[in-house]
Amino acid sequence: MRSSRICSRRTLRDALIAFALLASCGAWAADPGLAESLLSGIAKTPPVSTPFVQVSYRGMLDRPLVVSGTLRWLGGDRMQRDIEKPFNETAKIGDGELSVQRGSGEVHRVPLARAPQAGAMLAGFRALLGGDVSALQQDFTLSAQGGAARWVITLAPRTNQLKRQLASIVIDGRAHEPRCLTVTDANGDSSITLVGAMAEAGLRSAAPLQSALAARCRNSP
Amino acid sequence: MTRGARVAIWLAWLVLIAAVGWGVARHLQISSDLRDFVPPARTADQKLLLDEIGKGPGSRLLLLAISGAPQDRLAALSRGLQDALSHDPAFAQVANGGNDLAEIASDLLPYRYLLSSTLDAHRLDATYLHAQLQQRVEDLSSPAASMLEPWLKRDPTLETLKLAQSWVPARQPKLIDGVWFSDRGEALLVTETKAAGFDPGAQATAIASLQKHFAALPGAAQAKLVISGPGWFGVEASRNTRAEADRFGAITTIGFIVMLLLAYRSAVPVVVTALPLLSGAVVGFALLALIFGHAHGITVAFGFTLLGVAQEYPLRVFSHRRIGIATSQSVRELWPLLATAIVSVCIAYLAFFASGVAGLQQLAVFTIGGLVAAGLCTRWLLPLIVPPARRDMAATPGLAQAWRFLARLPRPRWVPWLVAVAGVLVVAFAPGRFWQNDLSALTPIPRAELQRDARLRAELGAPDVRYLLVLRAPSAEGVLALSERIAPRVQRLVASHAVDGFELPSRFLPSAATQKARQAKLPDVAQLQAALQQAMEGLPFRGGVFATFVADVETARKLPPLTPEAFEQSPLGARLESMLVQQGDGWVGLGTLSGVNDPVAFDALTKATGGTVHLLDLKASTESLVMAYRHRILIALGIAALLLCAAVTLALRSPRRALHVLGPMTLATLLVLVVLRACGIPLSLFHLVSLTLAAGLGLHYALFFERRTGDAREDLRTLHATLVCVASALLVFGVLALSRVPVLRAIGLTVALGVAFHFTLSVLMAPHVGNPLPPEEAEQGERARSASAPRRVRVRS
Repeated sequence: MRSSRICSRRTLRDALIAFALLASCGAWAADPGLAESLLSGIAKTPPVSTPFVQVSYRGMLDRPLVVSGTLRWLGGDRMQRDIEKPFNETAKIGDGELSVQRGSGEVHRVPLARAPQAGAMLAGFRALLGGDVSALQQDFTLSAQGGAARWVITLAPRTNQLKRQLASIVIDGRAHEPRCLTVTDANGDSSITLVGAMAEAGLRSAAPLQSALAARCRNSP
Repeated sequence: MTRGARVAIWLAWLVLIAAVGWGVARHLQISSDLRDFVPPARTADQKLLLDEIGKGPGSRLLLLAISGAPQDRLAALSRGLQDALSHDPAFAQVANGGNDLAEIASDLLPYRYLLSSTLDAHRLDATYLHAQLQQRVEDLSSPAASMLEPWLKRDPTLETLKLAQSWVPARQPKLIDGVWFSDRGEALLVTETKAAGFDPGAQATAIASLQKHFAALPGAAQAKLVISGPGWFGVEASRNTRAEADRFGAITTIGFIVMLLLAYRSAVPVVVTALPLLSGAVVGFALLALIFGHAHGITVAFGFTLLGVAQEYPLRVFSHRRIGIATSQSVRELWPLLATAIVSVCIAYLAFFASGVAGLQQLAVFTIGGLVAAGLCTRWLLPLIVPPARRDMAATPGLAQAWRFLARLPRPRWVPWLVAVAGVLVVAFAPGRFWQNDLSALTPIPRAELQRDARLRAELGAPDVRYLLVLRAPSAEGVLALSERIAPRVQRLVASHAVDGFELPSRFLPSAATQKARQAKLPDVAQLQAALQQAMEGLPFRGGVFATFVADVETARKLPPLTPEAFEQSPLGARLESMLVQQGDGWVGLGTLSGVNDPVAFDALTKATGGTVHLLDLKASTESLVMAYRHRILIALGIAALLLCAAVTLALRSPRRALHVLGPMTLATLLVLVVLRACGIPLSLFHLVSLTLAAGLGLHYALFFERRTGDAREDLRTLHATLVCVASALLVFGVLALSRVPVLRAIGLTVALGVAFHFTLSVLMAPHVGNPLPPEEAEQGERARSASAPRRVRVRS
């Protein structure tokens, strides 16, 4: 399958964004206000894993796409995203390489060095996990709203290369845990990924409306 | 003649040389085209080499590395340089990793189903389309799908992407900030010059232009640009050689002037000796311009070396002048012998003219014309500007002692024979290669630069410059078909590590037959729409979203197959153009290889294809050309030696006297060979030419020592002249022998050794020198010295 590289890059992006979520699973400093102060207290002990449900809204599709599975941070720069439904796909990042296997098919390997923006994002999210806000700020402008109980952090891309693909990443969280990751692409398409308790609760409909899902992320207790 | 008149003639002569030299320089083209220099190609590979030398896909590449600045600056410089070079007509293409292949592929969008191999294994039916669309749905479950989405509607099988990926070199440097970077953090670019790789002139222009572009970029001053590749090495080599030659030239000129002042105690020889040689050179160039219109650079370099013999003519005149006798009288007395030497050498060089090789014919014309002109100038012009002698050189202090020393040396008759036999044995049986066929062994490229080139080449996955895979067929279409057939076999060679990577012409353009076969598999509108309808069942795609895809397929069904000419108009065209060339009435495909580990493994491929495909070793082909060229030179030299023997015998009217002249020459040449062989130095063309020059000088020594004058003072003058000549030759070439540049070292060492041997042997083997000088004659010689000169020589009775 020759299209593997593009697929892989997308999977990588996915994985990285999920990585951001993993990073935010856990004890948040209950300091309302700046994203920096929310993020700066984060320190995680691997391995960490969480179920996820991702709902994508695409202009050329007449209904949303739903995939679900598990995200794992294995420590260091190793992570893994397993899609379990509706198809099987395993994406691994480790040792400077990205490998993707869909179903029981061929494993496609791409050196991370060949996907520089993905590499930059990985570095950014590692910095996030390690609580290194300044590294994250190289690629994103951070802003936050809300308080310790209910908060929203917005990551807006800084580099043109990222801006060409990505409009924003918004993380909704409650107290110590993130709930939803909303990624809006440059062309207006978007996806909402539920993690933690929200993912465990699952979707209430096979094809939820975007507005309904967004409202659930924002308003559920 | 008054002093004023002499100065006026001297000035007029200088002006004439300058004027003719200027005129000739404007008309004579110095070419660096190897075809002028080597004999006509005989094998098909030699022919291909000569046609393609330097034009081949690998040899025109320059590898560039920018370092010494922060990464983002380097990336910006890389983009700036790429932009500048892509607008420079001297460069065919430039790549820095930023070229978006998908964008290039979209230029060929209508042809995608004819160029891509998808239809070889599949049809655009409901089953295949459903599987593809299913994958696209899975691809779309990613936020980054926005990048793909606009493509998907028109190209749901991602054909353009598959094409772009098939064109990406198997190995590529990593991309940072959208451009290539090496493991050491240098920004990497690769550019292809329009000029041939081995055309140092054109390469120098292109490289200068490249460096100018780089220097003009903002922030370039803080960064460092490194250039590598065959073209760069050629330019470097000639620059190094020239710089070294200039430096040594300055040293030897000063040494030469000091030596002339010491030898003649007069400034006149200093301002006059160069004139006959310069006149000869100018006449030689003029003849080249008139007869050929152009000359090869190597011919000119060889010719200049050989013309060095003419430096002796004026020196002989100065040494043989006598007090109270007009210079013209001295020259007249000297002329028969000088003329014998000139004519003999010129007759010998006629052999080069008959060789049939353009480069050697030019060499003969230049050398013969130059020597005759220098001789004639010495005979008729020089006496007009040289004032009457105020000193007799025979009275030079120490000269008579030197003569007696030389005369007393033992001269056993059997020694020359013993030396000859021993010499032949050493030359024949010394271990080590006899000939140096590898021209690159003579190029002064520092090892560090060669290592850097290998590193950059490996990082860029740039093709090997030594090996090419040659595919022969009657037509371009045939080459492409052949290329398609062998691709799987070459792929197996990669798997078995015989070669690291390869690129065949069919990688870019399939044969028309293959394109037509793919075209025949494309469904018509109705079929495709039905298949698409069926394929989309159960998938979330909106209806009618693939309308442009259906239209594209319909267009592709009616397209004529893409021809090489049409493909060459595309941004990737230059790649194919250099890989597909017409030769005679056939076509040749040039596949590039990188990292050839096992050249022998390609033999099976050659056998399997009935010889239509084979590995071309450019190094071996060049060496075979060098061997062919040397073969011609050796034949020419052999004939020249015979002609020389005949000419000398005829001039001296005695085989016995001729033997006295030719014996020392032959033996001295043999001794030089013995030394070179004993030191394990393989002989190159430059050694051969140097041996010839040394032999020409040796002819003078032997001719003059052989002369029976019956006049002790004249014998002393001969010794004086010869010593000055030997000293000047040793000075010039001895210094050259110390050069770091292998070519200059080869010339310097050979000529210096030759001069030493020729002098020693011509003294030892001359029939009269052995007879001690009668005491009274020696005394007369002493008395002839001018009164002002201090008496340092004790006269023994």
